[in-house]
Amino acid sequence: MWGPNEGSLVKRLLGVALGVLTAIGGFVDIGDLVTNAVVGSRFGLSLVWVVAIGVLGIILFANMSGRVAAVSGRATFEVIRERLGPRAGLANLSASFLINLMTVTAEIGGIALSLQLASSVYYLLWIPVAALAVWLVIWRVRFSIMENVTGLLGLTLIIFAVALFLLKPDWGSLAGQLTPAVPQQETVWTYSYYAIALFGAAMTPYEVFFFSSGAVEEGWTAKDLGQSRINVLVGFPLGGLLSVSIAACAAVVLLPAGISVTSLSQVVLPVAEGAGKLGLAFVLVGMAAATFGAALETTLSSGYTLAQFFGWSWGKFRRPAEAARFHLSMIVCLLVGIAVLATGVDPVLVTEYSVVFSAIALPLTYLPILIVANDPQYMREHVNGSAVNVLGMVYLVIILLASIAAIPLMIATGAGS
Amino acid sequence: MTSLHNPLPPVPHVAGRILDAQLHLMDRQVLDHDGVPVTTVDDLEVSGPALDVEIPPGTEPPVITALLTGSVLGTRIFGGRPPSSRLVRIPWTDVAEVGVVVRLGVSGEPLDASWVERWVRDKIIARIPGGRHDPR
Repeated sequence: MWGPNEGSLVKRLLGVALGVLTAIGGFVDIGDLVTNAVVGSRFGLSLVWVVAIGVLGIILFANMSGRVAAVSGRATFEVIRERLGPRAGLANLSASFLINLMTVTAEIGGIALSLQLASSVYYLLWIPVAALAVWLVIWRVRFSIMENVTGLLGLTLIIFAVALFLLKPDWGSLAGQLTPAVPQQETVWTYSYYAIALFGAAMTPYEVFFFSSGAVEEGWTAKDLGQSRINVLVGFPLGGLLSVSIAACAAVVLLPAGISVTSLSQVVLPVAEGAGKLGLAFVLVGMAAATFGAALETTLSSGYTLAQFFGWSWGKFRRPAEAARFHLSMIVCLLVGIAVLATGVDPVLVTEYSVVFSAIALPLTYLPILIVANDPQYMREHVNGSAVNVLGMVYLVIILLASIAAIPLMIATGAGS
Repeated sequence: MTSLHNPLPPVPHVAGRILDAQLHLMDRQVLDHDGVPVTTVDDLEVSGPALDVEIPPGTEPPVITALLTGSVLGTRIFGGRPPSSRLVRIPWTDVAEVGVVVRLGVSGEPLDASWVERWVRDKIIARIPGGRHDPR
């Protein structure tokens, strides 16, 4: 995949930052940090198979969207509007935009909650600081620096995997939990609900919006297809690993103790137990960076989707004045997020309800990507191979089934409670 | 519409590429001559005989006169039709190339289709410190 003279090792490592940052937003944003710990503390590792299916799915479609962006220069939402037309396109835009907006809100709250854990200053006071910091990065910082710094810092969450080793669990019984089975104290409905929530989180549409737009921001061409492949093959499995580590830590510490996770402080409990104060410092940095990265990803995705649907000028590679509506829409999103949080709503709860909109957005996002990835006018000789198409079709069926089941299950289980 | 007495003339031989308006024009991104996005093709304006009028044989086939944008997107989604005076047009003569995107041969800056972008830039974004800072 790498030709000769492709640059130094550091450059290669930083070359995967887009994939890592994209995956962080999908797998360990504030909602997922808590959801993963909830899943671990209630279901042990019996839902890990869902994460694996999700990781494969997002690898498949993110790579397709990256390939479309690199070869044709078109980001995903332009393709959605062009293939679905204005009506279905608008339905997807509304759903995706609401997911983005809810996640932006939750992530700003998440940054504030992480800072509260680190500083003991009440989180509502951190919210304006967090939102301003997100805006300043979007306004001023170069895309490559943004993705490198947040991607690398977010990786400190790997401390969950380290803590798992330090906790010295009984690996045999832990591995025994890996088989898909509903634990005794749970119903098949709550199990299915969390399965769909995990799958939806892994395949959140803003990941492909961000990844494909990031590919355009970085000026990828057909020469960078190897780069795109490495990005998805490193980034998303890493995201999945982080997500499973959090669940595993909770399964080892919280499940036997009968602690149910309701807040962020319980998520970090196993790390404190396994890796001590130093581990705690790592996890606090990691959570602040991951939620910050997710806030950047979702805020930018809000701007990307709107601009690409309506055909506005967009991109951080342009001066803000040359992409005026793009920047204005992101400022408005951040202000709306602050206003919502000011009501005192629980940031973690906000993301739970985005599952509803995922049901609409998921099929309407991945179908057009699959169609265009087969269109020679866009892709020239880089159209999908038949194996990728078969997998893509299988995943569309899974996505459709998950979408149909999501809302009834949410109502039936009271959002998993 | 085709009757035995008045069959449509056979499709004339065209030298260039045949475009399907729905497939190759509608909802495509429009870029100006510097590659800056201007808008999306929200609709097309076509010349030709008025509706409900008998078309005499030998009439010139209709041609695309302009790409449309603006409020026409709303009416295309929700139904209805804006008055002709409310259409924002990009004349077809400005179109330089039709591919994966529609490329204009002119700058997007002075076009009617760019007025909202200009307004947001001049009244809001450019006034915020750093608004004209080049990130590269």
